[in-house]
This record gives sequence, C-alpha cells and structure tokens, in this order.
Amino acid sequence: DKQLEGVQLAGDSLEDMLNHMGDYAPTIPEAVTGYYLNRAGFETADPRLVRVVSLAAQKFISDIANDALQHCRMKGSVQTARRPGKQDKRYTLTMDDLSAALSDHGINVKKPVYFT
Amino acid sequence: MTSTASSKHAAAHRRALSVAVAALCRDAGFDSSTESCIETLTEIVQSYIIEFGRSSKSFSELTGRTMPMVTDVAMAVSQMGSDISNLREYQRKLSRVKIPKQEMMYPTGT
Repeated sequence: DKQLEGVQLAGDSLEDMLNHMGDYAPTIPEAVTGYYLNRAGFETADPRLVRVVSLAAQKFISDIANDALQHCRMKGSVQTARRPGKQDKRYTLTMDDLSAALSDHGINVKKPVYFT
Repeated sequence: MTSTASSKHAAAHRRALSVAVAALCRDAGFDSSTESCIETLTEIVQSYIIEFGRSSKSFSELTGRTMPMVTDVAMAVSQMGSDISNLREYQRKLSRVKIPKQEMMYPTGT
C-alpha cells in the first residue's frame, strides 16, 4: 500500500477535473456527442465522460478557428495598410484561412479540381 | 462510412453539430463564414468524436472491459494529442464569462 502512495494513475487528473466540472453545459450538445460515440461502440453509464469528449472536440475546433482568425487578421492588416481610409473589422471564415490553419494541425484539405 | 449514412436521425444530429461548430466559430471572433468551411469543420469534428470513441473503446477492451472508464477516456485524450490540463484550462476560460446562478448568491449579514 505504501508503494502505491504517490503513484499517479492516468485517470487521476481527469477524475479530478470531472469532480470540479459541475453542471457545465458544452456548446456541442451531449446528445450529439453521445450519438457519434455510440456509433463507434462507445457506451457508458457516466454522462460526465460524454461531456469531456464534447469539451475536447470543442477545444479542437476552437483552436483551429483561432488559428484561422490569426491568418485572417494577418491578411487583413496588409489590406488595411494599403487602404488606410477603410477600416473593415468584419472577419469572414474562408477556405484559404481554414486550410492554412488546418495544415498547422496536420490536416490537409484538398479541394477537388471540379469543385468551384 | 460515417458521413454518408442516410437517415433522418443522422441528418438531425449532423445539423445540430454544424450549428455548434458555427457557434464556436462565432465565439472565436468570426462574423460570417462560407458554407464549405462550416461543412469541413463539421466533418472534422464528427471524425474526431468517432475516433475518440473508438480509441477509448479499444483501451477498455484491452483491459477486458466493455464499458470505458475514466482511465480509458484519459488515455484516449492523450492519444488524440490533447492534454487534460489544457482541457481544464480551456474549460476554466469558458466558465469565467458565465453569469453566476441567482440562488447561489446569499446575503452576507442581517
């Protein structure tokens, strides 16, 4: 028993997180996450686990979106420098910025040649 | 296999997922988006969740169980290239802007 003292199990930090999560409602609905998890054969009695998957997926998308926004801003600063009078602060997510952000995450998006 | 399953059930869930993806893009600071971007991100998040489920299922089956436990999900998190501490950080950042519930606020004195 004394040998096990101080040993950190893989689930310890997650268990700790689950206990502190409370009734947090993720943006990706738990029902939707649960549906896709069930498709993979994942079935659990603990709804908090589904919430964690929701959170992880949400973080993944948020990180990509943030990266895309950085790409968008970098491009925008070049454009506003050319035309100093016009200050357009509306950001539109385009495939150019998105594929640049995705390639940073190791995902290559290839547009089919017939797709315009 | 997963994205071409044609049923009303699948379509409804996919639609809900794309709404969530759009909300996340909005949170990130975008005002608008092209349809193909939302579609691409929806496809990605769908694959992500299914891969997550498959991964934690494999970890639980490796130890002779059928239902994934907390440890299996924790292993899957790191398998997916994420970190629990990063997730906690992300959640803390999200919940910081939340408005506290009304019944949580008690008067301090009489």
